[in-house]
Amino acid sequence: MNNSNQLKMTVYTSLFVALIAIGAFIVIPIGPVPIVLQNMFVLLAGILLGPVWGLTCVAIYLLIGFAGLPVFAGGTSGIGKLFGPTGGYLLGYLPAVFVTASISKGLGKKMSSDIIAMMIGSLIVYAAGVPWLKIVTSMTYEKALAVGMYPFLIGDALKIIAAAFIAKTLRPVIKL
Amino acid sequence: MAQVTPFTYRQGKSILHLLDVRCKFFIICLLSMSLLPAHFLACFFYGFILFFFFKNAGLNILSTLNHIKYFILLLFFIFIARALTMKGDIIFSFYDLSITVQGLNEGFLVSFKFFLVMLTGVIFSSTTKPSSVKSAVQWFLKPVPFVPEKRVAIMISLALSFMPVILNQAREISEAQKARCADLQKNPVKKIIRLVLPLLKKTFLSADYLVLAMESRCYSDDRTDPEFIPSGKEFYFLAASVLLSLGFAWL
Amino acid sequence: MKKIIDINNISHTFDDGYMGIKNISLSIFQGEFIILAGKNGSGKTTFLRHLNGLLLPDTGHLIVNGQDVKKHLVQTRRTIGMVFQDADTQIVGDTVFDEVAFGLENLKIKRSQINEKVTQVLEDLNLFHLKDRNPHSLSGGEKRKLTIAGILVMDPQVIVFDEPFSNLDYPGTIQVLTTIIDLNRSGHTIIIATHDVETVIYDATRIIIMEQGLIKEDGAPADIIRLLEFYGVKEPSTSKFGLGIQPWRK
Repeated sequence: MNNSNQLKMTVYTSLFVALIAIGAFIVIPIGPVPIVLQNMFVLLAGILLGPVWGLTCVAIYLLIGFAGLPVFAGGTSGIGKLFGPTGGYLLGYLPAVFVTASISKGLGKKMSSDIIAMMIGSLIVYAAGVPWLKIVTSMTYEKALAVGMYPFLIGDALKIIAAAFIAKTLRPVIKL
Repeated sequence: MAQVTPFTYRQGKSILHLLDVRCKFFIICLLSMSLLPAHFLACFFYGFILFFFFKNAGLNILSTLNHIKYFILLLFFIFIARALTMKGDIIFSFYDLSITVQGLNEGFLVSFKFFLVMLTGVIFSSTTKPSSVKSAVQWFLKPVPFVPEKRVAIMISLALSFMPVILNQAREISEAQKARCADLQKNPVKKIIRLVLPLLKKTFLSADYLVLAMESRCYSDDRTDPEFIPSGKEFYFLAASVLLSLGFAWL
Repeated sequence: MKKIIDINNISHTFDDGYMGIKNISLSIFQGEFIILAGKNGSGKTTFLRHLNGLLLPDTGHLIVNGQDVKKHLVQTRRTIGMVFQDADTQIVGDTVFDEVAFGLENLKIKRSQINEKVTQVLEDLNLFHLKDRNPHSLSGGEKRKLTIAGILVMDPQVIVFDEPFSNLDYPGTIQVLTTIIDLNRSGHTIIIATHDVETVIYDATRIIIMEQGLIKEDGAPADIIRLLEFYGVKEPSTSKFGLGIQPWRK
């Protein structure tokens, strides 16, 4: 990779960090549970930036949040977030973005493979988030799933379909 | 221009504002972690200290509580969940559910701790300039192998500087669509695409211009290091916080 | 007058249909105030990006202070500063102070010197009271001046502006125009690409008109002003009404 291309990826990745942070504030009112776009931007970062830059992107997002910049949902921040009830979801973004990016890349960046990649990525986020929620709050698994996963699944499905279409449209434009 | 988040930095000249950001960062990590296994007495003591610095830094407690109201709601749920699930001396029972003394105690303690840790984070981000946080991250990353800390610092800068721009663009796009009756669109997938696709296109276009601007200003990874200005009181604060965390462990 | 830039028959073509430039030759001297005019897609932007080494010519040579740009990129970029059209997408720093310091940090200048230089430039441009603000929260005129400050700390000899007055209100335009004129008086060479010739023509020493990637006219404002509309650029109204070239600022 030459220098100019490296700078380009650095800048794209930085702007995706900003998108992920802002994704917590962009709300689309659909049905009873409003849709927040943050996890969609995480998955898109994987698909558009690739495994290495995608992982870098999420790592920097988490780093600045834990370091005290108010980029987590509701304008919160701090190392305490890591031990809080939603810490698992945040940490889950790391493997999720890497796996999503790798699957999408491995299966040839088609729309169908992107959808599979993002479904697996979303499940990884829950696989990290729900047990964490259960332990921190001492809920039963049924309760943790009912609070921390089921209400969001429909929204996730919609976001994944939208994201696959968005990735397909953007790839030729940004020539990555 | 839009305020990105409620907790952005407030200007001021209090002790906490002037304290070296690396020292502040270390203290917060230390205290947050030593608080987790701590007991009631320690938590209340810490609460009083926090309250003092809140006042000292000129922050408004009521407006802060208002900003984190959803978090407080979540804590309330945690409190209820703990109170209902712990086994122990029953105070009140209703069908299968029973509230116990141990449950109430435990639930209150856990919620209170999360609340204190949260407030600690609020104090930090309201008394620390975002650019100082970036410098501190760069400084702490320096000894970590394989991490190009200077590039990370630039990326943080870019992300911070573009958050308000992107948020504004999102607002503009959504207003332009409302003006063309986009609300009538019922298909949720289309709704998402119509907001996100133009937003991403604009963001990537901005990125392309930004690359040019950075190149024309001689961008290089090998850059001048950031500067830290200690206030001279760092040692006292460090010593006090180490004593405090030892005290928590002893209690 | 000292010759700063010597352009010798440069051409550049793009493969995606974007307007390139063809066989451009000209010299630029110290202290000149040049307006580069032409319709959208006439190749102005492509030409400007060559001056700063952001694009390199396919054929021909571009010499800055006697050195070939291809071989001395960093030196060229210090000598020739570039202010882009959209202020929001060229701001790198998260505070006004950091934004101005960016260029000097890239050159690995010592921190104490950076602080001194940045403070001085901010004071010169009357921006010092804003030093801790987020750049994106400034007014249009202030933002444009900030981008100029970011260039000025590098001590450039030539400053290139791409549409410096776009999206500015009247006070903002006056602020920026005053800054540009002051820079020219203090010895900087100014090159401005703009559709808005009226605003700057009174202070300009030379107008260059481009069309289809070629330089069509190059001369003193008084000689060229009547030809502007032939090339799709609005002629200043004072000239249309027979009053010649008048200052835009009162």
